Amino acid sequence: MTPVHAWPVVFSAAKKGNDPWEWEDGAAAAPADVTGRGPRFAMADGATEGFGSTRWAMQLVEGFLAADVELTERSLLGWASRAQHEWRHDPLLSGATGLELFKLDSVGAFATFLGCEFADLGGRRPHWRAVALGDTVLFHVRHGKLIAQFPEISIDGFGVNPSGVPTARDALPGVIDQMGFAEGDLAPGDLVYLATDAFAHWMVRECHEDQEQLWSVLAGLNHPKRFLALVDDRRATREMANDDVTLMRISVAATWPDQLVVCV
Amino acid sequence: MTTGTYRQWVSRATPGCVVILLDRSDSMKLTWGTSGGSLAAGAALAVNNILLDMCVKATIEVNAPVRHYFDVGVFSYGARITGPGGEGVESAFSGTLAGRGLVPLPELAANPVAVREEPSIDAMPVSVKMPVWVDPVHGYRTPMCQAVEVAGAHVFDWVSAHPDSFPPIVINITDGMVTDSPHQGATLHDWAKRLTSIETSDGPALFFNVFLSPTASQEIVFPSGPAGLPMPGPELFALSSELPPPMAENARADGYDVRQGARGLAFNVGRSTLLRVLQIGTRVPDRSR
Repeated sequence: MTPVHAWPVVFSAAKKGNDPWEWEDGAAAAPADVTGRGPRFAMADGATEGFGSTRWAMQLVEGFLAADVELTERSLLGWASRAQHEWRHDPLLSGATGLELFKLDSVGAFATFLGCEFADLGGRRPHWRAVALGDTVLFHVRHGKLIAQFPEISIDGFGVNPSGVPTARDALPGVIDQMGFAEGDLAPGDLVYLATDAFAHWMVRECHEDQEQLWSVLAGLNHPKRFLALVDDRRATREMANDDVTLMRISVAATWPDQLVVCV
Repeated sequence: MTTGTYRQWVSRATPGCVVILLDRSDSMKLTWGTSGGSLAAGAALAVNNILLDMCVKATIEVNAPVRHYFDVGVFSYGARITGPGGEGVESAFSGTLAGRGLVPLPELAANPVAVREEPSIDAMPVSVKMPVWVDPVHGYRTPMCQAVEVAGAHVFDWVSAHPDSFPPIVINITDGMVTDSPHQGATLHDWAKRLTSIETSDGPALFFNVFLSPTASQEIVFPSGPAGLPMPGPELFALSSELPPPMAENARADGYDVRQGARGLAFNVGRSTLLRVLQIGTRVPDRSR
């Protein structure tokens, strides 16, 4: 079998009116490792009303990539528990004010999560496997057509109270039980997108209206400024909610790209 | 009918405005139900709780400033404790914020007058250490028209500076009948009408009323009509704005039976209901995520 390769590019935008560093999502990717584990991709969306949501989102996505985590409920419980411990014992907290400590204890943080692993890229059945909690969504596109969406959330299904991974220790086991799992076969030329809720909601709506146009636009994104312009335009027409947005596009191909473009 | 859309999100680019009018008339000295404390003490406790709620919501990360999501004012009417004293309307803040009108949330968070043990709002036999911005005071009559006038002046200036924000929310907490109507030739109804004619691009200012009763009575929260309301319920109903859709949804989510045309009025409420009403009345569209 001809091996296939996968590489990601990430676009993001903070809420309109916020500074770029106030983006409260998290996104990360790691290449295949020497143990044979395939590349991993993760995305999380921290709750704005929480405390330390950005750190929590990043803790989740980095932990998913770095740790020896399997896509099983038991292993994921261990991953989330470790992330909680690290978040709660962050050295930054030594400088917390009374108000900050009050919110840390009474509210904490919360984030939707989607983790994805590509497997068997050099073998007979290249495929993706994913775990999700909440409304961060994976879209699998082939030949300009959507062939899988995970989780399957309808246009009206994007709410403001999705499931997510909390920093509250007691709540964790029940939350892990709610995690969904899915997988799908990969082929050269496929594109896999991960998106946080505001952008994913727009994608679902556009896919329903004119998916050829949608996938053409997203496949053609080649600079962060183009992404920002797309988001600004859709926010201006109220087609997209003014939330932090993140889009990861993972290209699957038989050969590596022959150019590396760095946008500065 | 609500005429605004009331959909603007609160953010630092488009902050919100919350004004609380706090009755400090003599009757606020009465004991509030079985709480053992006075109406004035219970109302101050609820106001301090809601201010803390707002500060907590705007606290996002360690070593980061509290976010400027709101400008907040608390004006008392009845007994004055600053200046010449006597009866009148004044900022209810004391300490560093004494005499201030609308205060940005980060400044409010940084300047409570004290941090001290306060009783639990829900009548549990516990106390918690919490920041205090407003103290209980009572005396004199109930110059509610003047209070609405003062609120209107601040709200008018604020709207000029924030034309696209969620409209200002003015919540009046009282236990009595207005004693200064008409004031400058205008009745309380006229003053309320003037207040709610001030608007942003998102809708007119909202005027909500909470009536406290010292005796245990049936609570009536967010009624859709004046029928059956004891005095001065019908008048307060007429003054109160219709709950805009996002707040009606908040209230339903909190278990209230909110019908079409429900007004921002709560009648004969207890301490914990007062806080819940304040929470619903100050929870405006935002990203909960």
